[in-house]
Amino acid sequence: MSGNGEPGPGTPGPIWTPDPAVAARSGLAAFQAWCGERTGRNRPDWQAFQRWSVASFRDFWALFLEWSGLAFGGDPSEVCRGDAVETATFFPDLRLSYAENLLRPLPGAGDGAEAVRFADEAGAREVLARGELRRRVRAVAEGLRRLGLREGDRVVAIARNDAAGNVACLAATSLGAAWSSVSPDIGTGAVLARFTQLDPTVLFCCGSYPYQGVPRPIGDRVRELAAAIPSLRQVVALDPDPATGEGTGRPVATLADLALTPADDPAPWPRFPFNQPLFILFSSGTTGAPKCIVHGAGGTLLQHVKEHRLHCDLRPGDRLFFATSAGWMMWNWQISCLASGITSVLRDGSATHPTDDALWRFAADEGVTAFGTSAAYVQYLRDAEIVPRERADLSRLRSIMSTGSVLPDSAYPWARDNVGRVPVQSISGGTDLVGCFVLGNPALPVWPGEAQCLGLGMDVAALGPDGLPVTDAPGELVCRTPFPSRPVRFWNDPEGKRFHDAYFAQNEGVWTHGDRVVLTGRGTARVLGRSDGVLNVRGIRIGPAEITTVATTFEQVRAAMALEQAAPREPGGSRLVLLLVMAPGAALDRPLVLRIKKELSTRCSMNHVPAVVAAVPDLPATFNGKVSERAARDVLNGRPVENLAALRNPESLDAIRAHPDLAVR
Amino acid sequence: MDEQYAKLRRIVIDWLDDQVHFGEAEDKVTDDEMSFLKNGILTSLGFVSLIVHLEDLLRIRIDRKALTRENFDGLGKIVRYVLAHPDFKGVP
Repeated sequence: MSGNGEPGPGTPGPIWTPDPAVAARSGLAAFQAWCGERTGRNRPDWQAFQRWSVASFRDFWALFLEWSGLAFGGDPSEVCRGDAVETATFFPDLRLSYAENLLRPLPGAGDGAEAVRFADEAGAREVLARGELRRRVRAVAEGLRRLGLREGDRVVAIARNDAAGNVACLAATSLGAAWSSVSPDIGTGAVLARFTQLDPTVLFCCGSYPYQGVPRPIGDRVRELAAAIPSLRQVVALDPDPATGEGTGRPVATLADLALTPADDPAPWPRFPFNQPLFILFSSGTTGAPKCIVHGAGGTLLQHVKEHRLHCDLRPGDRLFFATSAGWMMWNWQISCLASGITSVLRDGSATHPTDDALWRFAADEGVTAFGTSAAYVQYLRDAEIVPRERADLSRLRSIMSTGSVLPDSAYPWARDNVGRVPVQSISGGTDLVGCFVLGNPALPVWPGEAQCLGLGMDVAALGPDGLPVTDAPGELVCRTPFPSRPVRFWNDPEGKRFHDAYFAQNEGVWTHGDRVVLTGRGTARVLGRSDGVLNVRGIRIGPAEITTVATTFEQVRAAMALEQAAPREPGGSRLVLLLVMAPGAALDRPLVLRIKKELSTRCSMNHVPAVVAAVPDLPATFNGKVSERAARDVLNGRPVENLAALRNPESLDAIRAHPDLAVR
Repeated sequence: MDEQYAKLRRIVIDWLDDQVHFGEAEDKVTDDEMSFLKNGILTSLGFVSLIVHLEDLLRIRIDRKALTRENFDGLGKIVRYVLAHPDFKGVP
């Protein structure tokens, strides 16, 4: 193994190692050295540094806040009030503006530097300099203020992944409103289940979106949504189409209308408490409506800046592209890159239009230096035998990131041979913390299938069956000390019960994330998948209840259970299985299967459509009548059933085991 | 219609129904020679999934370099390509 990124000779070991000279110039190295000076003790060894950042997490976050140069007011001396992960509050006396920190001139990224580069599948392009983006944001914010948007309001958006969505988000949040967005391809039922919980006052929306060369209008969905949200006072069109927002029964303005009165650019940005709600994201639990996860401005910003500058080693001049939509937390993660002077590269539309290698041609055209993707897309490239380095000039590329679902070991040599000799950084965390627990590191090697390290300041552990930390063995991913991007709360959860149940009921006092992970003795992490009933389909998290609720609306269906089954041949390495117990006299025939699938695709999304729908005589249930997804999941995935003795109908598992459609090739 | 052509055609239609169109594939594919891509029947991503399915089911290997619009963009083209494949032994 050489020190310049050359791969090893095919034996087990790192597939990439950093060039020491490059690592020494990284943001991480600079911060480590600076911390050494400030604390009087150098910790050049990564693991020692990471351990210190956890053991002395207050010192770590205080020093990082100072080193990062973020703009804030108030008193940062109280870093974290309280020691319990569930209730601790970071920087209670500090005030800041998320938008100000993203848009102000920075060393190496002044007003003339590129902020956003956008293109869609049809070839539309837009490049915005930081100064121009700031002027637009301030003008739209002034328009929103005139319309009555106030601190604490919620705004929602059905947005494309374009510059207009970024402008709207930053304008609204600059006034202290909380932003929540979905992508335009999500079904009406799913949008309603999310946005109706928030009582928003403003809806931003596009009129259509392009996909595979065809404009897809969403006017009907917008009208249905507006009709279901009585609190809505204003619709703002994100595109100039005069039809956008028509028929909603609310006043409609365009972003351009809002920006007609230029704002006073030098005026100070209003600053809000560190934990002011900034983003409301949605996560699918195993039961009930999607959880509305409220993330604070300061925690989000601090976590993202740490990840971008230290773990991803990004800086002014870098161009970050992540294949995402406005409905995934990586959209929020990406927009924060502006706070580090990084150019945010956005693309809207199909990844395979107008050509099957469209994303790579786009990356080459836009000079992308950090390319973010998912295991499902990598699997597509491999199945299609596309060799990106033969299709596009990727010479500017410095790293590939992957998240959403587990990237298999074999994807690493594939990327080396077919994309380029750059590190493949597996990053994992999620919507719940709008950031990462495990991720990349410019100074460490890359081992196939593993994230390079644990996040700085993140007290991550894997708990074994006895509740004790384990190394080199599968365990439950937990975080044991407070971290700033812990959600502020759930929306509409005044007592914090749902919040507690989601993260703190399983292991009292520590954050239990719902992932199974192996933390290795060399400090890397191998994420194995979900440990709870939440489904992860091609990187999209789906609550089983979203599927079973639709399935049980069919009179032929008495009960339903949605599960994820490992399937190495499928994109993302797993497939969605829907088990049905039929009503007396009803049979599951092909027309019914197709009708259920059609209903799921319409009311939810194509990602909610199961690969397999199978009828079974009964669902496993405990003696008190609670259905046991866990037992069914164990059987589907060929694992021993841990709670067999607790089942009143263990024979139900035999039927699942023997069903021919449930065998994985 | 040749029996093998008809069987292969049914396999593709069934796959489209299972994966994308949920019972409406036959109505959408109004002509075996219509373009899947231009008419929104299938995306490039979907094409790859269909190819993997055909490979698994028919135990053939399809050269990805042959995945051109001329060879694959349409029901008739897909079926004729498979029928002409040297390893194709018939629909099981």
